[in-house]
Amino acid sequence: MHITGRQPPGTALSRRRFLAVAGISMAGALAACSGEPTGTTHLRLSSWNIPLDLESYQRIADDFVADHPGTSVAVEVTTGQFHQWFITRLAADLAPDIIRITPQQIGRYAANGSLLDISAAVPDRYRQDYSDAFWAIGARENGLFGVFQHTDNFITYYRRDVMDRIGVTPPTSLADAWRWPEFLEIAREVQQATGQYAFGYGWSGSETAYRWLPIIYQNGGAFLGDDGETPSMDTPEAVGALEFGRRWYADGLVSPSNMSKSGGGDVARNLFLTGQIGMMLNNPESIAQLDEEMPGEWGTAPMIRNVGEASDLGGNALAVTKSSKNPELAAELVAYLTSRQNVIRFCHDGNWLPARSSLTAEDIDYADNVETMQRFIDQGTTIPIELVRAETGQYFSSLNMVFADYADLCFLGELTPRETSEQMMEAMRSVTQR
Amino acid sequence: MSRSDDAIRVREPAAAAPTHPSGHRRRAAGRRAVAPYLFIGPAALLFLSFSLVPIVIAVTLSFQETATLGEGEWIGLDNLATMTGDGLLRTALVNTVVFTAGTVPTAMLAGLGLAVALNRPLPGRSLLRAAFFVPMVAAGVVVGVVMSWIFNGDYGVLNNLLEVAGLDRVPWLTSPRFAMLTLVVVVVWTRIGFCMIIYLGALQSVPSELHEAAAIDGASPWTRFRRVTWPLLGPTTSILLILNVVFSIQAFDVIYVMTGGGPGFSTTVLIQYIFRSAFADARMGYASALGLLLVAILLVFTLLRHRASRRAEELL
Repeated sequence: MHITGRQPPGTALSRRRFLAVAGISMAGALAACSGEPTGTTHLRLSSWNIPLDLESYQRIADDFVADHPGTSVAVEVTTGQFHQWFITRLAADLAPDIIRITPQQIGRYAANGSLLDISAAVPDRYRQDYSDAFWAIGARENGLFGVFQHTDNFITYYRRDVMDRIGVTPPTSLADAWRWPEFLEIAREVQQATGQYAFGYGWSGSETAYRWLPIIYQNGGAFLGDDGETPSMDTPEAVGALEFGRRWYADGLVSPSNMSKSGGGDVARNLFLTGQIGMMLNNPESIAQLDEEMPGEWGTAPMIRNVGEASDLGGNALAVTKSSKNPELAAELVAYLTSRQNVIRFCHDGNWLPARSSLTAEDIDYADNVETMQRFIDQGTTIPIELVRAETGQYFSSLNMVFADYADLCFLGELTPRETSEQMMEAMRSVTQR
Repeated sequence: MSRSDDAIRVREPAAAAPTHPSGHRRRAAGRRAVAPYLFIGPAALLFLSFSLVPIVIAVTLSFQETATLGEGEWIGLDNLATMTGDGLLRTALVNTVVFTAGTVPTAMLAGLGLAVALNRPLPGRSLLRAAFFVPMVAAGVVVGVVMSWIFNGDYGVLNNLLEVAGLDRVPWLTSPRFAMLTLVVVVVWTRIGFCMIIYLGALQSVPSELHEAAAIDGASPWTRFRRVTWPLLGPTTSILLILNVVFSIQAFDVIYVMTGGGPGFSTTVLIQYIFRSAFADARMGYASALGLLLVAILLVFTLLRHRASRRAEELL
């Protein structure tokens, strides 16, 4: 049987009507996905892929939402290489409203307009609870582009059995921290005790080359001048620091596998766990694994020092991106997340160090290693503001790569410290004069 | 009468029936004209969105100075001029050539050897073929991480084995003299399986009569390989050579994970330098110009591959 003639209107779906209905449905679906107003103001917060932190952010954000009816907050993960991830999302205007960003990453984006000034949403009293150095991470002459939420830095870890064997009692206060000559002397004894190397340095890939910069400041030198932009690796103090670093490797105190560009994660921690070194200069991230694999067999002392004190500038700030469709609300959430009470919650849950000056390990109520965490908090006060200005400058990502390249060559003995200084200065100038 | 004749007879009156024959024909002709575009539409849309538009943007960016992917300052050919005086670019190009020269012939020779060995009846032949091919399907980043551990100078398996054998430890990844060699070994390991599979396919298309005839004439196995098999593998070898060169020039993940381009600049290759310029140095314009240089190099090899493919088709 042939079906001929037109169907009564409305009794069958013609192809044209089907396409029309499908088109309208798709348009509706796309509109729904486009984030057009649906009655709820939605914010997105992006963090590193650390499960505890993601949960912690979401819990605090849920409290914020409870106080702000008609809002919602989703916590997302920052994926892959940060700059690649962030630049491409900014270009598509799809960056999250709020990002968790390191001090070393913030400078470029604060300078090129990718981050927004949030000073209007951050209460004035916040400034009183931050050191000049930590406040300078987000503050610029033209506004506040981030609030430092939590920090970390380097102290000295040691294996108790090694210290017992060489008969050394490590210092416990910042004032008694090992000076370079004393540290090298002890390191040689440690090397004899381990039969391999003496100590390790907590790099984890070329992007963390900057973790060595405190050594320059400990010697009274600087990576960049006071303006945070002029290269200053040609001073006798900076060259002296490179000479100190070169000796680590030339004397066999540090393994050549332990360099900023080495792959394989935290090499220093692995060497420490396997007993190939007796000391390491590293951040608090090692604590959980040390507790698990060698409980009670390790201890900590302050970071080494020379004429000056300095330690690594670790940690993260929270900032609002220019992609945000609700920047005022996003800035309000940043202020909420960095309030004293929420910093305590966040640091307690994730075992982080607070960026706020008034908080102690006792306030945070860490589950374990309270004394060690307080040592890290105290060490944080030795981070010089000049180091902060250098690492949070607009060129720092590029300068960090230059430092990684030439420090590698110097420590391996391919270049002398003097040659390293000259070539590094030339490469740094080519970056800052762009 | 056949069934097809029936079908024709049934359809004929229906074809003559339309009330408006010219309208039907127009619609049918219209449908026929539109159909190809509908079929190629999705692919064309994807190509436009993810290839053509980015290419146009990259070309545009290469004449600009910009830290982001947005509009920058037009600087004409300045990026090109910068390239000519860029010492690190020269190093990266030399390293790319060394890396390519190290990986391509080695992977091809090893692949050919394995293909010949596994082209004859052997117990567990299929398993062996699969085992050699597995590294090819492993993600580069995973390979890089695992190999970083294996080649670690202090706690890597390889150096521990050397030590057990009474030999000195080797600074596989920490010496500028060894790092490139180590990368070549790792990349060759991942690529042997690919070369083996392609060569296996080619070996199985060599007519067995030719071998039998040569054997009857008294040719030794080596002579049969040299005089019969190898000439017939020529087109496959050409294609494999060019494909491998392209793979080597594009190699990024393993190097990025294992050495980060170091120690110093000893393993910094062109594509890594492009990535660094774009995202670490925030020089999108310069990185785009470097990208065009890479495209130009790859284009030469792609054209060669195209010619080799045509030659292979003619021969087969």
